[in-house]
Amino acid sequence: MLSRVAERVFWMARYLERAESTARIANTFSQIRMDLPRGSELPWQTLLEIFGADANFYDLKRSASEHSVLHFMLARVGNPNSIRFSVTAARENARTAREVLPEEVWELVNELHLFTKEFAEKSVARRNRFDFLMQIVTRCQALSGLMMTTQTRDHAYRFITFGHLVERLDLNARVILAVSAAIDSREGANPAFDGLIWAGFLEALSALGTYKRSVGPMVEPDSALNFVIRNPDLPRSIVYCLNTIRMSLKSMKSSEKVITPIDQSLKSMYTFDAEEMSVETMHKFVSGVQSCAERLTNNATNNWFLPTSL
Amino acid sequence: MRNSFWTNYSSANFFDEAITARGNPRVASRELVKFFKGLSIQEMRDRRMAAELAIREMGVSFTVYSDNKNLDREWPFDIIPRAISSAQWDSVQRGLKQRTQALNQFIDDVYNQQKIFLDGVVPREIVLNSKNFKEACKGISPAFGAWAHVCGTDLVRNHAGEFLVLEDNLRVPSGVAYMLENREVTKRVLPELFQNYSISPVDDYPSQLHKMLVSLSPRRIQKPVVVVLTPGIFNSAYFEHAFLARSMGAELVEGADLFVGDENVVYMHTVDGPERVDVIYRRIDDDFLDPEVFRTDSVIGVRGLMRSWRSKKVAIANAPGSGVADDKVVYAYVPKMIQYYLGEKPIVANVETYLCSEKDALQYVTDNIHELVVKPANESGGYGLMIGPKATEEEHEKFKRKIAKNPRNYVAQPTLKLSTAPTYIDDKVDARHLDLRPFILTGSENWVTPGGLTRVALRKGSLVVNSSQGGGSKDTWIVDTGD
Repeated sequence: MLSRVAERVFWMARYLERAESTARIANTFSQIRMDLPRGSELPWQTLLEIFGADANFYDLKRSASEHSVLHFMLARVGNPNSIRFSVTAARENARTAREVLPEEVWELVNELHLFTKEFAEKSVARRNRFDFLMQIVTRCQALSGLMMTTQTRDHAYRFITFGHLVERLDLNARVILAVSAAIDSREGANPAFDGLIWAGFLEALSALGTYKRSVGPMVEPDSALNFVIRNPDLPRSIVYCLNTIRMSLKSMKSSEKVITPIDQSLKSMYTFDAEEMSVETMHKFVSGVQSCAERLTNNATNNWFLPTSL
Repeated sequence: MRNSFWTNYSSANFFDEAITARGNPRVASRELVKFFKGLSIQEMRDRRMAAELAIREMGVSFTVYSDNKNLDREWPFDIIPRAISSAQWDSVQRGLKQRTQALNQFIDDVYNQQKIFLDGVVPREIVLNSKNFKEACKGISPAFGAWAHVCGTDLVRNHAGEFLVLEDNLRVPSGVAYMLENREVTKRVLPELFQNYSISPVDDYPSQLHKMLVSLSPRRIQKPVVVVLTPGIFNSAYFEHAFLARSMGAELVEGADLFVGDENVVYMHTVDGPERVDVIYRRIDDDFLDPEVFRTDSVIGVRGLMRSWRSKKVAIANAPGSGVADDKVVYAYVPKMIQYYLGEKPIVANVETYLCSEKDALQYVTDNIHELVVKPANESGGYGLMIGPKATEEEHEKFKRKIAKNPRNYVAQPTLKLSTAPTYIDDKVDARHLDLRPFILTGSENWVTPGGLTRVALRKGSLVVNSSQGGGSKDTWIVDTGD
């Protein structure tokens, strides 16, 4: 497979995952805001921090209101973290990698792009927002399902899986860091609501139901963290992402050079237990996961994507 | 008659391909005309809508350079096919093979012995002064003496229905993907028609192209690596590049994907490391092919590619320098070339052509410019030409000055009475002018597409068929009429 095409397929998958996660998180965030009493709510700024988009946002010299933040995250063409931008980038990558993808993938990505272009701007207000975000999630899911059921298990499939999971890894780490920091920073807030906030994020990861079945109906912050970090069977947990990336890249040429950060990260996971550690130590662990995602991308770029002369 | 859309059809003063001057259908078009006349206007609209939907779904599009806003446009398609009898096509086809054979021998001669100059058949300076003559190609003789491996020859039919060659496209001719897609659309939209007809299939093209490309491989191995080299997504023919790569099972590469390594071997960057490339079907103009030899500012080419080609480590189709015969001045000499190289009479004739570089012809062109079509010697896509009878006095004067300044750069031809065919426009079937671009493959063997890409000028009376300038297209049928 051509290095350039591999790179485009990888980024197509990353941007699709980013669009879906942004939609899930923006939705959860909006829902939680409605449930929390005044004084205990999370500031809108947290949403920007999750995506590392705060600096870009403040460049625009706006204050972080519900409308301005959601417009920035849903519809702003120039924001590399917005749903609008992610979908366009996914489409442009798919367009130049069409020959290695099933024909329907291109058609669905194209439709997703047309949908986003038409509705993102109109969906910032609460009334249309939830429907729009759910549509984005459903359409991205349809694409993932399509690729899972029709894509040959070739290099293209490996890079699709890799792209999805590395993005998920990075975003999960960001969510954990930003949300726990935001919870701690609220002065005089009632800690009774912390569980509610974490429950919302379990839901964003499609993990709330499983959590309730295997841990219990009350969401407790530390055990929620353990669950989304360590549970090897949860497709959105950090350990699951690490394991699956490792498995899908193993057969590739010079993969050992690429996947070393995974082995290091997995090793540290054995000793991870949110209940037994300070918030600072937990943050160190999670930041380690984030830098693992970054190193994976850099290693892949150097080994497989960047042309190296003979 | 059930419908109103096909009444008073007439194509006064022109040869119509479906209907005779007396108003009867020609043999090859008989069933076609009967079928369409049997449809109601609503059914006609439905079929057209079905065709538009199919085109959108299949993602058939083309790109217009000047159109910043809407890069991709859907392909304009007319649902009424154009039928040509196989008996007539047979002779055209032989004529095309003959012509390409002579052209290939000419290119090979120009870059090697130059016998044709020595024998005074073609003036040396006309060829050597052409910007398409590439010094870097001298002394090379590619496999089978084949240079223009893929040739798209534009044919027109005159007032008598006789096929004439309008121009030879030997550089990077495009349009073949649309020929294939047109047939796909017709099969979806008018499936009934195929029952009553014996129509030559066209979908063989990608495998014929692949076979030809493989025959050029310098390495005699089981599966030579063939790639399609595209300038990228912003090229107007990108859709076709991707289409051909996909249907041949070849990699679609951009310049940056390739590099020339040790011993002048060409490799492509893959995730498994460098992989050797044997044959490059390039869709990039000569000038941009290799910054080491041609334009140094080219970012879409491959440094060292010419070195590799010259040392026969890689085959390039079409061979660099093939464009030397793709020039409207050289065109005028093709009948003489056929005579000279093959000792045969041309089977398909040229359109009469006045070379402004010749003194008498220049005088004639200047005096009669209002009746002539004036063309720059090497532009493509219908750009820069002037149709005398349709142009203003002012434009006539402007062109006279242009010609006087650089006569070598212009040729003129009589305004042809191009043939017409029934075309569905604004709920009415009306006569529109058309041309035909068949594709001729030359490798170890020759092969001609049955039919080709028919382009039709959608504006009434217009003679410009280029898709970038408001042209549409039709499916083209070579029909076995049993004679």
